[in-house]
Amino acid sequence: MNVQQLGETIKDRFGPDVIDFETLGPDQLYVTITPESLVAVAEHLYQNEGCRYVINSGTDRRQQRDAFLITHFFTQDEEKIYIAVHTEVGADDPQVDSITPVVPAANWSERETRDMVGVVPVGHPDPRRLVLSDDWPEDLYPLRYDVAHDVHPPPAEGVAPERLEPPEGASVVPIGPFFPVLEEPAYFRVFVEGEQVVGADYRGFYNHRGIEKLGCSVLTYNQVPFIAERICGICGYVHSCSYCQTVERAAGIEVPDRAEYIRTIVLELERVQSHTLWLGIAGHIIGFDTVLMQTWRMREPLMWLCERITGNRKAYGMNLLGGVRRDIKPEVYGDIRGVIDKIGDEWAELAAAIPGDSTLMARLQGTGILTTETARKLGAAGPTARGSGLAIDVRLDHPYAAYDRLEVTKCVHDSCDNLARVLVRLEETLDAIKIIHQALDDMPDGPIMAEIDEELPAGRQAMSAVEAPRGEVFHWVLTGTENRPERWRVRAPTYANLQCVPPMLEDNALADVPICIGSYDPCFSCTERMEVVDVNSGQVRVYTEEEFRNEYDQPGDK
Amino acid sequence: MIASKLKEAILSLRPGRVTLKYPFAPHDPEGDFRGYPEIDTDKCIGCGGCAAVCPARLIMIQDIDQNTRRIVRLLERCIFCGRCADVCPEDAITMTKRFELSTDSGREDMESECQVFMATCQRCGRCYEPPSALDKIMKPGLRNDEVKRGGQDSPYKHISSE
Repeated sequence: MNVQQLGETIKDRFGPDVIDFETLGPDQLYVTITPESLVAVAEHLYQNEGCRYVINSGTDRRQQRDAFLITHFFTQDEEKIYIAVHTEVGADDPQVDSITPVVPAANWSERETRDMVGVVPVGHPDPRRLVLSDDWPEDLYPLRYDVAHDVHPPPAEGVAPERLEPPEGASVVPIGPFFPVLEEPAYFRVFVEGEQVVGADYRGFYNHRGIEKLGCSVLTYNQVPFIAERICGICGYVHSCSYCQTVERAAGIEVPDRAEYIRTIVLELERVQSHTLWLGIAGHIIGFDTVLMQTWRMREPLMWLCERITGNRKAYGMNLLGGVRRDIKPEVYGDIRGVIDKIGDEWAELAAAIPGDSTLMARLQGTGILTTETARKLGAAGPTARGSGLAIDVRLDHPYAAYDRLEVTKCVHDSCDNLARVLVRLEETLDAIKIIHQALDDMPDGPIMAEIDEELPAGRQAMSAVEAPRGEVFHWVLTGTENRPERWRVRAPTYANLQCVPPMLEDNALADVPICIGSYDPCFSCTERMEVVDVNSGQVRVYTEEEFRNEYDQPGDK
Repeated sequence: MIASKLKEAILSLRPGRVTLKYPFAPHDPEGDFRGYPEIDTDKCIGCGGCAAVCPARLIMIQDIDQNTRRIVRLLERCIFCGRCADVCPEDAITMTKRFELSTDSGREDMESECQVFMATCQRCGRCYEPPSALDKIMKPGLRNDEVKRGGQDSPYKHISSE
């Protein structure tokens, strides 16, 4: 089914509720529907068309249309199509039906839209505050156009995060708010009966930086790639690539071939350094620090190589709209091959040693089970999804940069445990090295930057994704006036994967909790979300602030 | 099990000692590393191109009267991207290989300020960059840039010692 047919199918099925649909190229479908039909359309896409949920976005369009634009993004991976479902809700009554009851993965993003734009998801099973800090004023929505990017409301006294009470008879083990293993802000309260985990409570968002707001209010098109790169401290280049691709697509900018190859090479170098870093951290988490020392030793020459070809060991600063800023000169091809081959050889030795190491296997095999069904339901991405038998990989499903001209392998394992996620990454690293060699072999000559002479048109939109080391990074841009996007929406892969943690922790021993959390390579600062789920019953209870204050304030809290 | 441990032991022993002496001995960055920018204020014509492209928005431009433009840079926010050096029409900005910014004398070490004499528009009364190189030569007395710089450990010390 091509993108046009999919649009017509939806139009036929929902008739007058589909106001309009348009396509962009062979892979992007934009459907505008009435607010009343939102739940039905979302359910149809999720259940009948086999779509995977990506993210929700809210845009304040009161200046242009006297309305808020609510958009749900889906993807049909087999047909290689991204679908945006737009619906407009009036500015006088900012409410929209929640799709979370039919599409569970929409849980966080609908709450985020409520927090940031102020459109209330009606019928949401868990409508608590998600993104904003506890003392943020109720009626101040940061992503509305009339709220300044640097507004600082006064801090309030006597506020506390809404916490979940442990099940009857269970004890609480707090991990955080500064997660000591990953050195990142995350606060898990793990409920245990003896050594067995029976539930978890997560509070995040300690590092919310308002990057989307900056991109839509003070920065210009070519300043955004640099802040996009700083969304993540390990795999930032994926965000700057994804952002640039999105704007290039929306404005119809043709990127030169050579620039696409350079982006591909740098993306794969980043994958290698990220996976080597991750394996070291995983070893560190389970108390096997030799792995940490050795993988980070292997990784260091790669960081120096990146410093040499991009100008920095991380935060490369390579991308601008239309291409890349630095060429990779033919005289360094040999050095690139030398560095990655050395890593490849040692990595292969390490990969061969791991399955025979009973200490490692005891910690990895059979722990942190994330079933294929749960992974699909909660929209898992990247190695987390591939370790649970979901064969999704943006590089093959929605090719970008030069990946359509290169041979990429999907590394999938179906044992669904921590070991599967380790094996996926071990294989992917070796595959990334092969891809870099291929790209260097085929590298075309030519310019590295497209000339952009005219102002970018306003009111255009595009979606683009990049397969980050942690999974699918998704960006959507609606172009605006004043040389900046009107709305720029980012989804980091940990956003989806973090929602999979509570089911993953279920029935594990307490000692396995850190490696379960570590096994999906979380990047809290990229994501920063909050979730409370009772794993025992699967129930999500909603508490008012008053109830929480009365029941859970500890003596001395006030 | 034993075979695996042996493999791991060989992998660990083979490279020997790899820890560098840095920071006790210098460690020069690789090839085309971009460190912090160095600004030759004598070359600055006050066009403001650098301020327009800076992603960290650390370059502030103020016209303090009809023919003086004040340019303040807060290096503490610099991300070493080199966009200012890319766009500078006078090549007044070069990216150095230096990257160590720690200082014990506070924020002023990270600031640089210069004032550039500008031409005044006869119609609106605002500053503008003189139209050609010839115009600048024709007005020799107009350039008297004053550079305020930081304390003892300022990364800009090499400028201040001139």
